[in-house]
Amino acid sequence: MADRADQGFKSGEPLPAALLHRRSTPEELPFKLSSELADAPAMIGQDRAAEAVEFALRIRRKGYNVYALGPPGTGRHSLVQELLRRRAAAESTAPDLCYVNNFADPQRPRQLDLPAGQGAGFAAAMKRLIEELRISLPAAFERDEYRARREVLDQQMKTHSEEGFGGLQQRAEAKGIALIRTPMGLALAPQRDGKVMSPDDFQALPEEERKRFQTDLETAQGELEAVMRQVPQWEREHRDAVRGLNRDTTGFAVAGLVGEPRNTYADLPDLLDYLDAVERDIKENVDDFLPQPQQAPEPGGPPIPPAAQAAVEDMRYRRYQVNVIVDNGGRQGAPVVYEDNPTYQNLVGRVEHLARFGALITDFNLIQAGALHRANGGYLILDAERLIAGGYGWAALKRGLQSEEIRIESIEQALSLASTVTLQPEPIALDVKVVLVGSPLLYYLLSQHDEDFAELFKIAADFDDRVARSTDATMLYARAIATIVRRDHLRAFDRDAVARVIEHAARLAEDSERLSTSMRAIHELLQEADQLAADAAKEVVGATEVQGALDAQVRRSDRIYRRMQEEIARRTIRIENSGEVVGQINGLSVISLGALAFGNPTRITAQVRMGRGEVVDIEREVQLGGPLHSKGVLILSGFLGGRFGATRPLSLHASLVFEQSYGGVDGDSASAAELFALLSALAEVPIKQCFAVTGSVDQHGVIQAIGGINEKIEGFFDVCRAGGLTGEQGIIFPASNVKHLMLRADVVAATAEGKFRIIPMETIDQGLQLLTGVATAITDGKIAARLDGFAAKAAALARAASGSTL
Amino acid sequence: MTVRIERVVVALDAVSENRAAIDTAVRLASRWHARLHGVFVEDDDLLRLANLPFARQVSLGVGVETLTPQQAERQLRAFAEQARRDIAAAARQQNVDWSFDVVRGAAAAGITAAAATDFIVAGTATRPIGGHFRIECRWWSAIAPATSSFLLSSRMWDRHGAVVALVHDREPAAERLLDAAAQLAEAGGGRLTVICPSELAEDEAFVAWLGERLAGYSVPVEIDLAPAEPGEVIGRIIDLDCRLLAITANDAHAKPEQLRNLIARAACDVVVIR
Repeated sequence: MADRADQGFKSGEPLPAALLHRRSTPEELPFKLSSELADAPAMIGQDRAAEAVEFALRIRRKGYNVYALGPPGTGRHSLVQELLRRRAAAESTAPDLCYVNNFADPQRPRQLDLPAGQGAGFAAAMKRLIEELRISLPAAFERDEYRARREVLDQQMKTHSEEGFGGLQQRAEAKGIALIRTPMGLALAPQRDGKVMSPDDFQALPEEERKRFQTDLETAQGELEAVMRQVPQWEREHRDAVRGLNRDTTGFAVAGLVGEPRNTYADLPDLLDYLDAVERDIKENVDDFLPQPQQAPEPGGPPIPPAAQAAVEDMRYRRYQVNVIVDNGGRQGAPVVYEDNPTYQNLVGRVEHLARFGALITDFNLIQAGALHRANGGYLILDAERLIAGGYGWAALKRGLQSEEIRIESIEQALSLASTVTLQPEPIALDVKVVLVGSPLLYYLLSQHDEDFAELFKIAADFDDRVARSTDATMLYARAIATIVRRDHLRAFDRDAVARVIEHAARLAEDSERLSTSMRAIHELLQEADQLAADAAKEVVGATEVQGALDAQVRRSDRIYRRMQEEIARRTIRIENSGEVVGQINGLSVISLGALAFGNPTRITAQVRMGRGEVVDIEREVQLGGPLHSKGVLILSGFLGGRFGATRPLSLHASLVFEQSYGGVDGDSASAAELFALLSALAEVPIKQCFAVTGSVDQHGVIQAIGGINEKIEGFFDVCRAGGLTGEQGIIFPASNVKHLMLRADVVAATAEGKFRIIPMETIDQGLQLLTGVATAITDGKIAARLDGFAAKAAALARAASGSTL
Repeated sequence: MTVRIERVVVALDAVSENRAAIDTAVRLASRWHARLHGVFVEDDDLLRLANLPFARQVSLGVGVETLTPQQAERQLRAFAEQARRDIAAAARQQNVDWSFDVVRGAAAAGITAAAATDFIVAGTATRPIGGHFRIECRWWSAIAPATSSFLLSSRMWDRHGAVVALVHDREPAAERLLDAAAQLAEAGGGRLTVICPSELAEDEAFVAWLGERLAGYSVPVEIDLAPAEPGEVIGRIIDLDCRLLAITANDAHAKPEQLRNLIARAACDVVVIR
C-alpha cells in the first residue's frame, strides 16, 4: 500500500472523514459578521488578467487592444469596466463630434471637433444665426437704403431703354416713321395722320418722297437693330449690378451677425473656416431668406396646407444646421462605452433617410453616431461572441482599428454592392482602445485563423476560474462576499455562513485546495440564502440558510436524478451493491443536465472467449462511444498486452459494455473499471459488487485522476443508502483525486460512522486486490493459464484446419 | 350703376398686357351676374405694315426678320386664340357666361361700338421690350369716344385698398358715379371714400343725398375733403391707399394725359363713368 502520510492517508485504506470535505477554520475567518469586513479591493484570483489590462491601458500604441478571455461568471466584465473607469476618470474628456454641411460638395459632409460640451452650444448659435438672418435679411432688403439703390439700378436700366428706344422713336416720328409694337417685337413703318400707310398710299407718294422714306427707314431700322442688340447687355449689366447690390447688402447684414460666433470660437480655426463658408453660401443664396411667392395650388386642386409650405421653407435652412453626433458635455474623463449589440451600423454609425414626396432623401443632419464615435478618445468594451456573430461588425471594427479612422458608410457601400449616390461623410480620426470580452475557445480560434487578430489585439487578459485556497485568499474571498452583501443590501452573513459559502466555492472548483472565481454562482447563492433568512424572519444569514439555499438549488434541478435513483431502487436499472459477480463491476459517470451535475452508477460487464486478441468496445461498435472512451479501451488493451502478451499470443476475444446505457458515453474515467471487469472475466475471479469504481488507467496499470469525483461518489452513496448502508459498500477511486474531495455532509457523516468507505488506489493491482480479495499473483496466474489455454486451443484448431485441407 | 350691366366687355389685343384686364373683367361680370365678352382687336396698322414690301420686325429672340402678311395673320391668330383660352379659363373659374369676338380695325372703333349696357375693361400697358420700354397702349385713345363706362386696369384684382370717388356735384353723372363706385367697392370688399369740395362736405343736403344714394350698399363710406390745390388731388389719392379711382367722363382728370399721369403716379386702376 502506498503511503501518503504527508497527505494524511494511505492508498488502499479508507479515507478519514477529515479528508472528505475541507472546512474553513475560525483562524481563517476571524470575524463574526460580514459587515465587519472591508470591501474586497478587486476581483479575486485575477491578478494575471488585471496586470494585463492595466498594462494595455498604459501602452498607447497601435494594436494594443485587449481580449479578456475566461469562463463566464469570472468577473471579466466587472473587472474590465472597473479598471477602465478608474483610468478614464483621470484622463481628459473627449471632444464633441459634429457634422456640418460641406458647401463645396454636399455629398461629403464636413466633420468638426469641438471641446467637450461646446457642440450643443455651437448648434444653438447657428440656429440663432439663421433665425436672426431670416428676420434681418428681408428687413435689409426692405430698408429705404436698399430700395433706393435698387431703384437707381432699375432706373438706369429704364433710362437705357428709354433713351435707346425712346430716342429712336422720337427721331423716327420726326421723319414720319412710326415705331410699332408687333406681337413679337418692334417694327418701323411710314405713317400719315397717325396711321401706318397702306401699300397703295405708299405707292401713291411721289418717287422722291418714297425714296426718302426708304432711306430713312433703312437708317432707323439700323438704329433699331443696334439698340435691340444692346438690350441683352443692359440686362446682364443690370443683373450683375443687382447681384452685387444684393451681395453687399447681404454681406453687411451677415457679417454683423456672424461676428458673434466668430468671437466665441476664435480659437478654433476649423470652425472659423466653416463660418467663412456659411457666410459665402448665404451671400450666394440670399433669395432663400427673402419672402417667397406663395405656391399656387393646381386649378381645381386642394389648397396647399400651411404646414407643408412651412416644411418646404424649413428645408432651405437645413444646410446651416449642426449635427452634434457625440455630445460629451457634462462628462468627466474619457468615455468608457459598452456596446451590447455590436452590429456593423451600431459600431460605425449610419446615415438615415427620410421619405419625402415619394422619394428617400438624406443629408448630413441624418448622420447617426456609432459606438466607435461615442468611445472615441476613450475605451470601448464589446462582447466577442456577439461581435463575431453580429454581421460584418468584426470586419468594420478591424478596418477602423487598422486605418485609425471611422468611415460611415452602409454595408452595401462597404461591400461595393450599391451604385447609388449617397452621402460620404468625412472620416473621423479614431483613437480608442477596445476590450473584447469572450470565451477562450473564440480567442484561440481567432488567433489561429484570423491574420488581423494578432496585429490588433496584442494583449490577452486571461481570467482564471479558480484561485488557490490559501489563508489570505480565503480572507479575501470573505471580503468579496461581504462586498456583494453590502452592494446588494442583503442581510449580514455570520462567520459560519461565510465559511459555508467558501466551502461551496471549493466544491464549484472541484478541488478542496482551490476556490472558484465564478462569482455569478456565489452571488446567486448569497441572494437565495438572504431570502431564506427573510422567510424565517432572521436578521442575520447563517450556515443553515446557506445550506438550505444549496439544497433548494439541487431540489429544483434533480427530478431526473431522483427518477434514476428510483429506477435503480426498483431494480428497473440493475445496479448490484452486494455479492460477487465474475466479469461485472459498478462503474461511475457524471451526467450534466442544466444547472445540476450528478453521479450515475452504471453496471459494466466483460465477456471473454477464444479469439484473435481483440478487445471489443461495444459502445464504440454501435457509435455510442466517443473517441476518448475508445482511447481508454485501447489503453487497457495495451496494458493487457504488456502484462500478458509479451511471451504468448493473446488468443482471446473480449467485449466490454455499459449495461442498460442507451445514450453516448465518452471520457476515459471508466477505463480502470472496464479493466477490472476484463481481468475478473479472464481470471474467472468474482468482483465484490459492494464497490463502485472510477479512475483512468495507463498502459502500465497506474491509476490516473478523473473529473466529477464528488458527484460520482455521492451518486453511488445515494444508491447504497436507499437499499440500506451495510458498512461494506464504498468507492474505490484514484488517490490523485483525494485533494478534489468536497463531499456532502451526509456522506462525510456516514463515512465517519463506518457505514460507507471511500478508498483511494494507486494501481490496477491494488484495486483488483481490493475488489476481489485475491492476491495479484494468484489472479495473474489464473489469467495467464486461461490465455495459455486459449492459445493452445487456437493452435490445435489451426493445425486441424490446415491438416484437413491437405 | 343705375343702368344694369348686361355685358362686361374686355378689350384685348396682341401687344397689351391682357391678364390684368381679364382678371378684373371676370370678377365684375361675376359680381354683376353679367356675361363676359372678350373682344380681340386685330391691329390694322400691323396688317398695313406687313403688306409693305420692306416690312421687317426686330425682336430680342430672333433679331431681324421679314414681316409678311401671312406671318402677321398667323401671329394675330395665335394671340387671339390664347386670349380666347384665357377668357374661357377665367369665366370657368368664376362661373360666368362668356363669349369672344375677333374684330379688325381701329381699336377705338372696335370698343366704342359697345352698348350702353356694356361695361368696358381694358389694360393700360403694352408688353415691355427688354423689361422696361413700352409703346403706348392703344386703349388710351379709346377712352374719349367710348359711350360706355370704361375701366382701365393696371394690375390684377386686388382686395386691398380703397375705392375713391371724385364727386363735384349732385348731377346725374355724379349719381351714376356713386352707384358705380359703391358697386365696385362692394365687389372688392373694401371701403368707399368720397372726395368732394369742402363746401359740399359741409352741406347737409349733400350729405343726405349721399346717404340716399348709398343706402342700398353694404360698404363703409367716408368723406374726404378735396385739397384746395387741384394738383394735390393725386397725392391725396395716394395717401388714401387707393386701388380704384372713379371719375365722371367730364372730370378734368378724365383727359387721357391726366389719366396717364394719375395711373403712373398712383398706381391704381381708373373707372370713367358715363
